[in-house]
Amino acid sequence: MVDRPLRGLGTAVDHRDVARRRVNPSLVAGTLLVALVVAVALVSFVWTPYAPSRVDPSSRLLDLSAEHWLGTDKFGRDVASQIMVGARTTIFVGVIAVGVAAVFGVPLGVLAAMGPRWLGQLVMRTSDLVLAFPALLLAIMFGAVYGASTLTAMIAIGIATIPSFARITRAATLQVLSREYVLAARVAGRRRLAIAVRHVLPNVSSLVIVQVSVSFAIAVLAEAALSFLGLGTPLTTPSWGRMLQESQELLSVAPRLAVVPGIAIAIAVLGFNLLGDGLRDRYDPKLERAS
Amino acid sequence: MESGLIGSTRAAAGALAAAALLGLAACSAGSSTSSPDGTPPPSGEGSEEALVLGLVAEPATLDFSQDAGAAIPQALLVNVYEGLVKLDQDGEIVAALATDWEVSDDGLTYTFDLVEDAIFTNGEPFTADDAAFSIERVQNDWAVALKSAMDVVASAEATSPTELVVTLTGPSNNWLYNMTTRVGAMFSESGVDDLANTPIGTGPYAFTEWNRGDSIVLTRNPDYWGDAPYFNEVTLRYFDDPTALNSALLTGTIDVITTVQAPEGLAQFEGNEDLQIIEGTTNGEVVLSFNHRSTPFQDLRVRQAVRQAIDHQALVDTCWAGRGDLIGSMVPPTDPWYEDLTDVAPYDPDEATALLTAAGQTDLTLRLRLPSLPYATSCGQVVASQLEDVGITVEVDTLEFPAQWLAQVFMAPNDYDMSIVAHVEPRDIPPIFGDPTYYLGYLNPEVVEMLEAADLGTVDEQVTIMQEVARTLSEDAAADWLFLLPNLVVADADITGLPENAIGEALDLTLLARS
Amino acid sequence: MLLRVLVRAGVLLASLAVSSVVVFGFLAALPGDPARVALGVNATEESVATLRTEFGLDRPLRTQYVDWVGGMLTGDPGRSYVSKAEIGLQLADRMQVTLWLVAAATVIAVLIALPAGTLMAVRHGKLSGLVLAGLSQIGVAVPAFLAGILLITLFAVRLRWLPSGGWTPPVEDPVMFLRQLTLPALALGLVQGAVLTRYVRSAVIDVLREDYLRTARAKGLTPERALWRHGLRNAMVPVVTVLGLQLATLLIGAVVVERVFVVPGMGKLLLDAVANRDLLLVQAVVMVLVVAVLVVNFVVDLLYTVLDPRLRHG
Repeated sequence: MVDRPLRGLGTAVDHRDVARRRVNPSLVAGTLLVALVVAVALVSFVWTPYAPSRVDPSSRLLDLSAEHWLGTDKFGRDVASQIMVGARTTIFVGVIAVGVAAVFGVPLGVLAAMGPRWLGQLVMRTSDLVLAFPALLLAIMFGAVYGASTLTAMIAIGIATIPSFARITRAATLQVLSREYVLAARVAGRRRLAIAVRHVLPNVSSLVIVQVSVSFAIAVLAEAALSFLGLGTPLTTPSWGRMLQESQELLSVAPRLAVVPGIAIAIAVLGFNLLGDGLRDRYDPKLERAS
Repeated sequence: MESGLIGSTRAAAGALAAAALLGLAACSAGSSTSSPDGTPPPSGEGSEEALVLGLVAEPATLDFSQDAGAAIPQALLVNVYEGLVKLDQDGEIVAALATDWEVSDDGLTYTFDLVEDAIFTNGEPFTADDAAFSIERVQNDWAVALKSAMDVVASAEATSPTELVVTLTGPSNNWLYNMTTRVGAMFSESGVDDLANTPIGTGPYAFTEWNRGDSIVLTRNPDYWGDAPYFNEVTLRYFDDPTALNSALLTGTIDVITTVQAPEGLAQFEGNEDLQIIEGTTNGEVVLSFNHRSTPFQDLRVRQAVRQAIDHQALVDTCWAGRGDLIGSMVPPTDPWYEDLTDVAPYDPDEATALLTAAGQTDLTLRLRLPSLPYATSCGQVVASQLEDVGITVEVDTLEFPAQWLAQVFMAPNDYDMSIVAHVEPRDIPPIFGDPTYYLGYLNPEVVEMLEAADLGTVDEQVTIMQEVARTLSEDAAADWLFLLPNLVVADADITGLPENAIGEALDLTLLARS
Repeated sequence: MLLRVLVRAGVLLASLAVSSVVVFGFLAALPGDPARVALGVNATEESVATLRTEFGLDRPLRTQYVDWVGGMLTGDPGRSYVSKAEIGLQLADRMQVTLWLVAAATVIAVLIALPAGTLMAVRHGKLSGLVLAGLSQIGVAVPAFLAGILLITLFAVRLRWLPSGGWTPPVEDPVMFLRQLTLPALALGLVQGAVLTRYVRSAVIDVLREDYLRTARAKGLTPERALWRHGLRNAMVPVVTVLGLQLATLLIGAVVVERVFVVPGMGKLLLDAVANRDLLLVQAVVMVLVVAVLVVNFVVDLLYTVLDPRLRHG
């Protein structure tokens, strides 16, 4: 259905048409940025300009140069190498955290939508409860009990993100369930599991992917904050958040030591957000009226 | 963050290590002292001005008899609580609440003449009964390990309201010195109900307010028996973040940074005419400890190798902005028995590798467990890197300080190979290297004997013997001493009386004035 | 609708109860003996045992839990193991501070988000809209503590306009209070504003497409009037929801920002308490934060119902 444009109020058209017609800048930009971060992380496994943790007192606090593309820090360590290995940490934490969240959250969401009403309520209420414990708070508590480390950070962030996945999946599932072809299937007596697998999952998957991207961005921010507070990755593992924390005492002499990891974090988060937005623009279910 | 800090270890944030100990304005004895920079001593009348000092590591409680943290005596000793004696800027013991004292020939009996008109802030006068009470209290009610300094006291008796006789079980060179530290603080018999929140002392300042997480406020004590200090109100403001501490001075939120914890940031203060930078020494030896219970470290060659693998000057330059003296043993330059022992284990990575091979440890892995303190996390990375250069694999982890570090490294089962922490107490060799139950687990009967002899002998003998002890510790590689924490103070240029060296536990506010 | 409210209230109470068990249980699992940590390493066994009894740590867990909950409900969470000070007083003091910070940040966020988001929605698809969208994207990608560090560097260190932190109670010195509040509130608020902007934009865009706007237009209202009268009200629904959901994020953002600006609020209290193993205090702070979020979510839920009549009979 194509509606006539309403001047001044924007265009209310079928977005699937629009999505095909219009270039989606968010998607493009997001993909590029994310690809950049992932590429840097992957490259760091085979090569970095210098060993990132190598202390070199004679090369302290050097500015950007041909030998050290992003300069060195107060220990003489090469900043570019640290950023590259830091990308690894960022991706790693994001993958595990979001993985945990999706693996638990998606089935919970589907269950909540397709199961008996009380189950749905229970899942949703528990989600709300978990949402009351923000990722950082959980990470602090976990860290206090089990000792702060990358692992506790990832698990804490993951647990804190489960509710988002559960909710989005449930909402999407409910939508799908109300569609005609599904109703038809149910009337025809198909079992719920079959319906879930055949109709629900493929249709919610696009939304889940959107959520993955968005949650990844949140995970990156959370990890940075934890490292900043000293509750994340151990000392010997380069991490953008900790680079920020170490840069603080040198703000007056070498502000680039804060700017560089800051930009790295911003690029990663921006990338995932844009990617999520772009994907959402493509797959917004509200406008998938006929399918 | 100092709760649970144990025993004689001032595993303090470097800030505490660099506690500025100020000299003594000997008010009572009638003599006058001039501050190191030659300005006249504070006059008997104070001004109406206020001073704000910035520090790190806020105390968790105000009761230093229960909590070993160094932040508490730093704030309260000498200012709120006074002892019978105290230290001047040269490290000499001078009069405080005791105007004079005599020691018997056998060194067993000390007779103190006390000040007559000292009053506690709860209105009670200070008498010899309070003094005896305070001394006995250390033995009976104190929980910190430092209380062992009073073990040598057999009895404390008030023979008159202004005379106190203390009898020791044996002669001790250390006892009177220890009386200048927190164990010598004088409490009111009726004023010890809520020491955690309400300190009551005889000092020139009275405790006024504690805004937890923010500041402690002290106000001049109008009933003080001696000369009034210059500043009417002193606020001690605590910062978690060393950089915020630096910024606070620049924006005028504080007037003095008592101890710079982010030395790289000193650069922004240099060349600023409105500020003065003071760089001196402290008692804070940054010790790279070896766990002597750990098998590799039972071999002297391994310990030597670790010491010689470290380029100490490069380390200080890298992790503490080059500020900090190199020491070769556990003695700071301000102690009478100081000797430069840095050549006992010079930087020689080839020698280190050779020693490791000779010891059969070519594939050594050591765990370096660091407390979450700025100098430890900073310098630990350099240590790890330098050790890696001689073929030692170092596993670094950071333990939250104080709780985790205390639980895992400090207390049994002392689960670590190496750690880094600053020991800021003055003259702290005996509890650290003379006690095998301490976290280092160092047992050297020769050293134990020498320490006893030093305490029992004459003052000159003490110096000679302690020099020998220091040398032995170094040659035996009992630990490695990375550097001495510097006393880095930055303040408004017009503030006088700031000490160059931090010698004891207290931050003496009475010497400060604004010209 | 009353039934719905009652059910929600019941759920809230149940959530509160469950959270309290979770918080208590979690921290009861903490290794290490709080009494020993409070006294220090060289404390004697007897003094540790005495302190344990004083803290009530030798009682069965159930009793401890019940006592604790009772205490929290009556406003007396007990005394800290470490400082012996009353926890209730500390909480009250610190909560005030954090509330000011969070409130100021929210105001800044809303002041940024409403106009920016609406503008972006209306200019959706045009260049100016894209530029604004890009800016807000960048805003979201910047963590609050990074914003804080940059703000300090610029306004406190370089320009010396504003202090780099600290706290003065408003009654004591309102001017200093405002000056000290500005940078931390900005750090929190700018980021939140960026996040909120995107929701506002999204909500307004959705509204712009809705049928009832066309109907309103068909009825003769100008586009602006239609938007104002019918659109914004519905646009507010997700915005209010998000504000509520964001409270958790804001509170936690405050934790880090309080660290950067040395503001003595709940965040700092929590971090210090964890470092000191001050269990009772950690429990109390976490519980208060959780209760705040749950209650706000409940209120937002109610508002949601009020704002969107379609849900009244949901």
